[in-house]
Amino acid sequence: MNRRKLIWAGFGALAVVFFGTLPFYYDVHRGQWGIFFFNVFVYVIVAQGWNLISGYTGQISLGQNAFFGVGAYTMALLWFNDVTKTGYYFDPVLMILSGVTPFILAVLVGVPLLSRLRGDYFAFGTLGMGMIVTVLFINGGMFTGGAEGRMLVPKMPPGVVFNLRTHYWVAFLVAVLATLVVYFMTSSRVGLALKAIREDEVSAASHGVNVLRYKVLAFAVGASMAGVAGSIYGYYLLQVTPSNVLTQNWLFYPILMVVLGGTGTILGPWLGAFLIYLMSWYGDQYVAGFSPILSGIVIILVMLFLPSGIIGLGQKVPGLGKRGRGSG
Amino acid sequence: MSSLVQILINGLLLGSMYGIAAIGLSLIFGTMRIIFIAQGTMIVFFAYLTYWSFVKAGIDPYLSLLTVVPFAFVVGLGLFYLLFRKAAALEDRNVSLLLAVGLMYLVDNLILRVWSATPRGLDISYSGAMIVAWGIRVSWLRLALLGLAFGSAVVVFVFLKKTRVGTAVRAASEDMEATTILGINSVWVCAISFAIGIALAGVAGVGMATVYSFDYQFGFTFAIKALVALALGGMGNVFGALAGGLLLGVIENLAAYYIGIAWIEVASYGIFMLVLIFLPQGLFGRRGLVKKV
Repeated sequence: MNRRKLIWAGFGALAVVFFGTLPFYYDVHRGQWGIFFFNVFVYVIVAQGWNLISGYTGQISLGQNAFFGVGAYTMALLWFNDVTKTGYYFDPVLMILSGVTPFILAVLVGVPLLSRLRGDYFAFGTLGMGMIVTVLFINGGMFTGGAEGRMLVPKMPPGVVFNLRTHYWVAFLVAVLATLVVYFMTSSRVGLALKAIREDEVSAASHGVNVLRYKVLAFAVGASMAGVAGSIYGYYLLQVTPSNVLTQNWLFYPILMVVLGGTGTILGPWLGAFLIYLMSWYGDQYVAGFSPILSGIVIILVMLFLPSGIIGLGQKVPGLGKRGRGSG
Repeated sequence: MSSLVQILINGLLLGSMYGIAAIGLSLIFGTMRIIFIAQGTMIVFFAYLTYWSFVKAGIDPYLSLLTVVPFAFVVGLGLFYLLFRKAAALEDRNVSLLLAVGLMYLVDNLILRVWSATPRGLDISYSGAMIVAWGIRVSWLRLALLGLAFGSAVVVFVFLKKTRVGTAVRAASEDMEATTILGINSVWVCAISFAIGIALAGVAGVGMATVYSFDYQFGFTFAIKALVALALGGMGNVFGALAGGLLLGVIENLAAYYIGIAWIEVASYGIFMLVLIFLPQGLFGRRGLVKKV
């Protein structure tokens, strides 16, 4: 086990060095792979958040798009109105704040939803929350800019050149950080509690696990990851509107990525994000317009033939556990 | 006064659509524990079929109930055996949820390809026929919608109470494992309730085609509205689901009138959240069905 971990860590370090230094020998701004990997990294961040609450804790959240959108809007509105007076591009203060607001929202929504209800009702509730958030931002009038959203291009500080290299690095750094957070959370006592909740909530509670606290913690940390991803994506779009940061795509694609890669595994979201985004990338290039049909078919095929994900393939032991998935 | 009555009536008529969809969802959720998020998409799909059979073959929409609903039933059986049979047996709910999502993407975009993004609606010779009484105007077609909803509720209710398969469906939604032990074929029970759920989507699709204009994006919102209706009415109760739908329709129309059309969705999803948090068994659901932690 220890040796296997070492090998994985070695691979991970190699991959981090490779992707981290990619911009030095590849022009990520002009070459198409820069924007490709930027998108993959953003999806990885959102997917890791969902992995934490749903993969490790077993509570199916259908609100990731709301947190993504709230994060993007936090950044956009604070920047647009110059609230913090720190007019940098990729302002760390704003990025942290865009992780804080989804965290607060998740606690507010999570405490009542997770304490009273379990399972499907949590999924319903988060879905409802996502719809409310979307409608509130559309109806926000002067505050959110309504359906037009907020145009951020005029707010660019003078002298700053839009270069995807920055985006690439920031997204990559945050994706690695998110992965590390999930890794350390799930391999500590917290992770034991989360997995216990996933396997049997009543049993976990009777063993002295504060079920509600851990569930809300996982939900809120996952939400703030989605929020930070939203702010990074907002810096790329430079116009934050409900139709580009609050769509169903930010809800269902990360779920698909996690499940394809392997639910409740640390590297599953990376694998899934890469493969799914690759598919939609080439789908848009070669069969433009049919790409959503293609993703529908891929979702169905993956669920039919690979329900435990790619990483789950190696660990699948028939008859062991009803979930049929590796436990990371 | 008469405007308030008009609002209430319009709400009931809109709500009957939600009601039919919610009954279907409740059957599927009851036995398979699947959040069948593609229900709205299926409704829109059958609305387009109705539209086609009217435009291409001149078949009256209410006559096409006779073809669309059995076809929907067969589609439901096919979908179940092709997609959901294995997933329904898994404890991992993600699989069936994502299967429904995949189906939704697929059918939504097929509709977009085949029928384009232009909203469609039917113009039937009797579209304009109205009942006018005490200053209240109700179109016959919308009234027929309410009849359709009550009719389907009664049919499903009788099926559940009076037939052997229906009894098995009810047993399965109480406790799937015990049902299997008693020698009931759980796959068949799930297949039947799924197919009836889709057949109800067919009924709702015909109803939608006669009154509302629809496009390919309508499905997702509609499925969530049906979910709201279901939560309002409570699981495991046919008439509860219908009542939830009617109530939601009334609430939406009241919100549109008193707060403004842009806030309809906030009102209905807000009530959804409140019901989930404070009244998880719904207004008419059986108590104890939703266990507390």
